[in-house]
Amino acid sequence: METSKILELVVIALLGGLCAILSNKGIAVFNDGLRPILPEFLEGKIGKKELAATSFALSFGLVIGFGIPVSIGASIILVHSILLMTDIIGSWAPEGKLGLALSGGVGAIYGIGLVLGLQKVVDLFAMLPVNFMPSLSVVGAPIIVAFSIFPAIAIASQHGMKKGAVALGATLLTLVFVKRFGTITLDNGTAIKLSAEGMSLLVGMIFMIIFAMMVKSDGTESNQALVSVFLERVNRIKKNWLWLALTGGLVAAATSLLIIAGDPISLNLLKDAKFNEAALAAFARGIGFIPLVFSTAIVTGVYSPAGTTFAFVAGIALHGNPAVAFVLGALLMFVEVQLLSLVAKALDKFPGIRDMGEHIRTAMNKVLEIALLVGGAMACEQIAPGIGYFWVIGLLLLNRKAKKPVVELAVGPMATISLGIIVNILYLIGLFIPVVAK
Amino acid sequence: MKKIVIGGQIDKEEVKQLVEAYGENRYDISIKNDLDAAMAVKTGAADYYIGACNTGGGGALAMALALLGRQECVTISMPGHVMSDEEIIENVKSGKKAFGFTAQHKEIVIPIIMKALNEQ
Repeated sequence: METSKILELVVIALLGGLCAILSNKGIAVFNDGLRPILPEFLEGKIGKKELAATSFALSFGLVIGFGIPVSIGASIILVHSILLMTDIIGSWAPEGKLGLALSGGVGAIYGIGLVLGLQKVVDLFAMLPVNFMPSLSVVGAPIIVAFSIFPAIAIASQHGMKKGAVALGATLLTLVFVKRFGTITLDNGTAIKLSAEGMSLLVGMIFMIIFAMMVKSDGTESNQALVSVFLERVNRIKKNWLWLALTGGLVAAATSLLIIAGDPISLNLLKDAKFNEAALAAFARGIGFIPLVFSTAIVTGVYSPAGTTFAFVAGIALHGNPAVAFVLGALLMFVEVQLLSLVAKALDKFPGIRDMGEHIRTAMNKVLEIALLVGGAMACEQIAPGIGYFWVIGLLLLNRKAKKPVVELAVGPMATISLGIIVNILYLIGLFIPVVAK
Repeated sequence: MKKIVIGGQIDKEEVKQLVEAYGENRYDISIKNDLDAAMAVKTGAADYYIGACNTGGGGALAMALALLGRQECVTISMPGHVMSDEEIIENVKSGKKAFGFTAQHKEIVIPIIMKALNEQ
């Protein structure tokens, strides 16, 4: 095994092990929904069994139905696949020293298993008679340009259609303009190419932040009130700064090695080595997560192992430099933990920014749902012309009717993977003739 | 008139429209951010909290869970699992005040929640 591969496995094992331990100790969990349950357990209001059952119910479906399908084909793992599982591992392991050892061990093995397992799946797919791996990468293709539209969507849902349309116009104009004139040739002949998608995202984000800052405070100080009511819980998080800084560092290091990504948008951008765009998208997502992560942290005393997700931005910015990324990620996490109450209070002053978070996440979600669906349709049609659209649209609508559906985001990737497997079976029994790759 | 606050994280406008459509004009419905919405129920300014997010338990109910406690909250649906109609009705009747679900299931669960609330 090469040294770089060993380093990757060590980092992922440390990340998996440490995060499972933090979940076991009730210091940090990744699922926003599990966080409010933990204080109930720590205060003895519910038992270990109930905690374990809840964490499984909340997270397992997302690992299988969202994390894994989005990760296959990109050879970068969506972080949900790891951290939602370490939530479960830590809450299943018993309390005390044995629980710590078990969490750490199983978490580490899971991390390694996931990296090697996904690689095995990819290798296996590549060996099939009808190779659909190239098509699988088409699934994420629409994301690469579509993601820059999300600020305009967020603006429209927060401030109305008119402002949304203005932002959309500005974003589109930037996209077209930079595509046409974005290459600057220096005197010595080297050309610098500006990223049209990155620049248009930046313009959209500037609009989004300015509009949000313009919202006047109505004098309510709900975050401030929260901090004073839950002071003890805020202090619990601050007390655990060392553990959290370590996980923050590991998250950044793993991201810088391109083993993990924090969200499907930056994952697909990273896959195409669009680092600046990926960093920007991850940054925007981080802004969207501050209000949610901070407010749940304050009321529960439990943090997220990835914090406000800015550690991912550090990892992307320092890709290829895991050691430096580790230090910066740890530092970022330390700072955000220390600023917890201060930032919460500041959010009261800018209610527009506080509310912007949910609009950012809703908008990103909508963009992803459609982009992955369109990508899935294109990929399926590429695998099996004339059948692909039938399959994707069919699965989408059946899923909507199903009682136990998969997350809509995952329908595109899942449709593509399943169709790939189906055409291989059809090929074996002589019912399908593969398309000759161009 | 009973008051319902729409909290949660996503699709608030759509959730509100559904709650209105099935609420038979019996409720005063307003959208708030999840923190203020949960606070409103805690202080008695509102009677019920309804919210959606991607996971049903996370953004949808986190604040309500933290402020009201688990006894008053119920996750109606999460990815891969929706409560049966009977279960939903039973939960509403048992006096729960905050309801969270996955946005994907809003059309399925809101009519049942509202039907049970209307019968209260």
